[in-house]
Amino acid sequence: MSQQPSNPAPLTEATRAVDSSDHGITKKGLSAGSVGLIGAIVIGISCIAPAYTLTAALGPTVSEVGTQVPAIILLGFIPMLLVAFGYRELNRRMPDSGTSFTWATRAFGPWIGWMAGWGLVAATILVLSNLAGIAVDFLFLLISQVVGNPEIAGIAANPFVNVVVCLLFMLGATMISYRDMRTTQKLQYWLVGFQVAVLVLFSVAALVEVANGNAFDATPIELSWFNPFAVSDFSALAAGLSLSIFIFWGWDVTLTMNEETKGAEKTPGRAATLSVLIIVSLYLLISVSLISFAGVGTGEYGLGNPDIQDNVFFALAGPVLGPLAVLVSLAVLTSSASSLQSTFVSPARTLLAMGHYGALPPKFAQVSPRFFTPGYATIVSAVVASVFYAVMRFVSENVLWDTITALGMMICFYYGITAFAAVWFFRRTWFRSVREFFFTLLFPLVGGVILSVLFVTTLVDSMDPDYGSGSNIGGVGLVFILGMVVLLTGVVIMIQQAIKRPAFFRGEVLSRASAD
Amino acid sequence: MSAAGILVGYTANGAGADALAVASRLAAAADAPLEVVMVLPSEAGNSSVPADAGYERHLRAQSREWLAEASTHLGADVASKLHLRYAESFAEGLIDAAHEFDARLIVIGTARGGLLGRSRIGSVANELLHSSDVPVLLAPSGSRELPAAQGITRITAAVGTRPGADALLESAIRLARATSAPLRLLSLVPIDLPAGLDADLAALTSSVHAEEVLDEARQALPEGIEATVETATGETIEDAVRALDWHQGELVLVGSSRLAAPRHLFLGSTAAKMLRELPAPMIVVPRTTRS
Repeated sequence: MSQQPSNPAPLTEATRAVDSSDHGITKKGLSAGSVGLIGAIVIGISCIAPAYTLTAALGPTVSEVGTQVPAIILLGFIPMLLVAFGYRELNRRMPDSGTSFTWATRAFGPWIGWMAGWGLVAATILVLSNLAGIAVDFLFLLISQVVGNPEIAGIAANPFVNVVVCLLFMLGATMISYRDMRTTQKLQYWLVGFQVAVLVLFSVAALVEVANGNAFDATPIELSWFNPFAVSDFSALAAGLSLSIFIFWGWDVTLTMNEETKGAEKTPGRAATLSVLIIVSLYLLISVSLISFAGVGTGEYGLGNPDIQDNVFFALAGPVLGPLAVLVSLAVLTSSASSLQSTFVSPARTLLAMGHYGALPPKFAQVSPRFFTPGYATIVSAVVASVFYAVMRFVSENVLWDTITALGMMICFYYGITAFAAVWFFRRTWFRSVREFFFTLLFPLVGGVILSVLFVTTLVDSMDPDYGSGSNIGGVGLVFILGMVVLLTGVVIMIQQAIKRPAFFRGEVLSRASAD
Repeated sequence: MSAAGILVGYTANGAGADALAVASRLAAAADAPLEVVMVLPSEAGNSSVPADAGYERHLRAQSREWLAEASTHLGADVASKLHLRYAESFAEGLIDAAHEFDARLIVIGTARGGLLGRSRIGSVANELLHSSDVPVLLAPSGSRELPAAQGITRITAAVGTRPGADALLESAIRLARATSAPLRLLSLVPIDLPAGLDADLAALTSSVHAEEVLDEARQALPEGIEATVETATGETIEDAVRALDWHQGELVLVGSSRLAAPRHLFLGSTAAKMLRELPAPMIVVPRTTRS
């Protein structure tokens, strides 16, 4: 080995500086105009996954509010929007992969923060299992449509086959998430475009059938469908609203993409506005056309029929579109598949942050050195979602329905805490400007109050054994039990972690703070 | 000579440690500076998962930590710099970084899973070998077990007479000179003969050819460089490679495939088979090196 006297090389200690090359980051990294207006809209729609969301939520919503679904959709958007404003302010001030967990810890301390994180993880795990469940139904429907044998669609009802196929789906989705495999932008545009086009086709076809007199239970469209006061009672309204919060869930990502959209001044706002206009129009179009086609009665294809309510497109695609029904199956399948990945990301990142800050075992903070994904947290989320789905498939009479209702409850829980965290975190700056008054006090506060009311009302009402799909254990509604088991499990794990890892719970890792 | 650096594509796992170990051994022997680069996935063009500034920041901090950790394994006699870069793929990021630092070599670890510690080409190596215009060194898994003091004990160049050998020979000479390691020229001719040919005839042809190679290469050798010549015999490439002796501190150079675009790499089938058998790091050299 040759010697070179002028060799510098003093830097062997761990503090050796890393050349972070800011030009590299701005050139290729996150901040440099990577997502344009259309890109942001596409991500927004893809995260909401309207085809999946509506087939899962339309039935349960009809069972609560009857023909007033359009009114509930419009109304349900308000708390979502109000909370999203607070979310955006927090994200701007404290960008952190732990989102609700970190923000609530900052505002209210470790205990509430921990439960907010738990709520987020629980909600996304619930939706993962529901998403995979819907995908299984449509996979079999698609096969039956392609080979022309209607009996194949029925195989999905066999709990064993169903669970096995569902677990395979989860396995695939986990691998894709773990390896961070991405669809190309072009393909994603096509998928989202296809999804929207099929939904429009589906609605128009339903309306044409109504006009031709071929509808199953033609119901004339009335203005009262858009009037929330026509809903029979407050409980029904609350239940409907908590479902409609679920259908807009995921839209908030378009608001928080401010960092990486081109022309960061205006694009995020425009993208969020445009994507929500597209989504709301789609939802209204579909709900109006399907109610008008099938009515809200309990007949074979009626939207009030409990046998089809957990997955209405599954039942109605055939009668409405005939041979073209295969398109609906494809749209729902691709919609579920493309939102599975973005859905997987959020519990994994929150669990990672919890591990990182010492609120969970450090294993959760592991980042895959090869794929740069939260590897351990991703796998744990997948395992929990799979086990949850398998158990629920056997316990519940109507697993999809009950998970969707419990999901609405969980979203209200952690979104509510997040909204209040925004209000409290910004307490010193409320009156600094008109803008801050609205975005950090009024909007999130009102949104948070609405979500809390919805949470409590749903929780109390769901004790009724007839609530939701009517599944119950010992005379107590399954949705209530589900919600309680999820929340209390959180409390138990939290206490166990507090004993094992007291530093976080003493506020030594993440201290309380406020904006000033 | 020693101005141009050696670029290490680092990942915080076994493959990354292998790459770092081989690179620092080579850097110490050749007195070349080391550029340790971690490539993070760029969010540009990502349309499936919403980007998250918080997670992005976390990854950056974690990667810095990994790099700093890695640098503690580097000997004090190696001048090194640590870098983070963003790219849509690991390979793309490494090639860009190699151009940025004007590096003469990219070093990566190969994926685990090869039998008995031998290399298997991972997806990163594969992409890199298809697109790099800079020589690529593939560090076999387990390289990190070798002591740094091992140094570079021999340079072996797998020479043929086909286009590409000139650049290969040139690289081998430069490397041998920089590391003061003896040079061995390896003739892979018998392996290129059509299958089913009589074995004795093949052996005869190959030894004749080996002489030619030796003459040709010797003429090309500059003053002060000595080379030994060896001929690999065996029915398959794998057999031939196994029959040869290999040092632990050896470096093997092969030329990229004739199918590759000029100045770009592409691992030919012969080289791919060699890689599976080789216990030593292998450098794939483009047909014509960058000027």
